[in-house]
Order: sequence, then C-alpha cells, then structure tokens
Amino acid sequence: MTEEQKPAAPAPPTGSPAPQRREGGPGGPRREGGPGGPGGPRRGGKRQFFRRKKVCKFCVEKIDFIDYKKAEMLAAYVQERGKILPRRMTGTCSRHQRWLGVAIKRARNIALLPFAGHTPGAGASLSHRGGDGHRGDRGDRGGDRGGDRGGDRGHDRAERQATPPAAPAERPPSQNPG
Amino acid sequence: MEERLYDLIFICRPATPEDEIKKIIAAVESACAEKGAKIEKNEMWGTRKLAYRVAKHREGFYVYMQIRTSHGELIAELERRLRVQDAVIKYLTVRLDEDLKRQQKLSAHRAKRAARRPKRAPAEQQPAAAS
Repeated sequence: MTEEQKPAAPAPPTGSPAPQRREGGPGGPRREGGPGGPGGPRRGGKRQFFRRKKVCKFCVEKIDFIDYKKAEMLAAYVQERGKILPRRMTGTCSRHQRWLGVAIKRARNIALLPFAGHTPGAGASLSHRGGDGHRGDRGDRGGDRGGDRGGDRGHDRAERQATPPAAPAERPPSQNPG
Repeated sequence: MEERLYDLIFICRPATPEDEIKKIIAAVESACAEKGAKIEKNEMWGTRKLAYRVAKHREGFYVYMQIRTSHGELIAELERRLRVQDAVIKYLTVRLDEDLKRQQKLSAHRAKRAARRPKRAPAEQQPAAAS
C-alpha cells in the first residue's frame, strides 16, 4: 500500500539507477579544467574553470631563435610591472618559455626591458583577461603606480615629492580585489 | 679552434658626440683586428629610451656589433677596454654560435620532416623516428 511506496521515494534505491544522481560521468568533466586539457592540468586559478585553447606562437610561426634584441616582441610576454608572464597565461610551450626567459633576462640587462616598473606594450599576449588584476598581486595594493619601486632610488625623490601621489588618496583602506 | 660568434652591445651616454662614439668603435675594431677577428655587423641604433636609469641617464646611444673569432679571450679584452671608457655606461656580450647551431639543426629537421610527409601521405604516416 502506501507504506510500500513510501520508501521508494525518499530513500534512494541502492541498486537501481537513480536519474537524480549524477556522479559526474556523463554529466560533463567540468572539474578538470575543460575538455582536452588545453593549458593546464592543474587548477591555476579558482575562477578560471575553462580556458580557451592557446597555442604557442613560436611553435606556430616556427621561430627557433628568440632574439633578445627585439624588445617589442618580448614585451608581449611581460606584465605591466615587468614580471615575466607564466606559461599558462600565454600558452607558450615549455621549450619556448625557457628560451623566452633567457631572452627577457638578457634584454633586461641591456636596459631594453625593465626589471620592475612600467613596460609599454606589455601584456599584449593576454587577450582574454585584463592583465594581472585578477591575481591580486601583492604590490598593487599600496598605490604602486608609476614605478615607485625598482629603478630610481633617492635621486629624484625631490621631484616626486613635488607632485603628491594621488593614488593612495583614491584608494580606501578596504582592499578587495575587484 | 672553431669559430665563435659574439654579439656585443654597448650603450654610450646620450650626449656623446658622434666622433667619440666612432673612436670607441675604432678602438674595438683595432682590438679585433689584432687577434684576427672579423666584424660581421656594426650598427648604431641611435638614442633610445632606457628601461631604467643607468648612471643617472634615462636615454642612451646604442651600438651593436657582431664579432666572429676563434679567440675567446678577445671578448675579455674588449670588455676591459669598454669598461675604461667614460662614455660607455653599459655593455653586454652574448655568445651566439651554439644558439644559431641549434636553430639551424631544428630548421633542418623540420625541412627533412616536411620533405618526407608528402611521399607517405596516401599511405599511413610513419613517425620517421630515425630523424
């Protein structure tokens, strides 16, 4: 009677297939970062569930020698603050990422790229996300615009004090990454 | 000894007159000629904005040379001479021949692989692991 039918509804049957339960098999492998593992088997950022397939530009164009003298080309692989972009952002393959690092460090030594500070044309290879904002870089919280760190120390403090930095005034103490 | 290829870039102060820069280049060339090195390229890139301040300057005059030699110690000699010059604020020497050798090897591999493929296209594509 009704008592026999009751246990069927609330208690999930053990053996028979329950249409309400999805263990993630046919439901879609959304946990592992997208089908086919485009750029990273690891979860790099919790907000990035799926990534566009990014290809290594050097492999596509068959470039075998990354010239450290071409600062504009290298600047595309460098953040605004001068840091080298990780491979998962640019889609470079591991071999070319190593060569790229060597070339960027050489370019830094000859003052074609900065060690830290503003780089014009930087981050151009990031087409889908806006630079490094979502990572919440430590340095960005203190009003660090205009290259206050790295570079000149002490010599033009005088000229910097003449123009009071407006950035700290704009930022309220609450520092939630947007 | 095998021939080595070096890149030499140095930066002069921005306000240096042209003939002083020419004198520095001439000194480098004479040092190379003594050891029998060949200068493959000699370019003056002109005044460029520096990415960071070097010796209190924000701009610099870039000079680029490519030197082919079989004497490695020539580079130490050149660097010593450049260090002495007041006008030169930064220099960098890079050895290039290994990189270029690898680049040629890779492009040769690629050409070989590309040449093999059209022959095997109707049949299955063998990996050609011998390359």
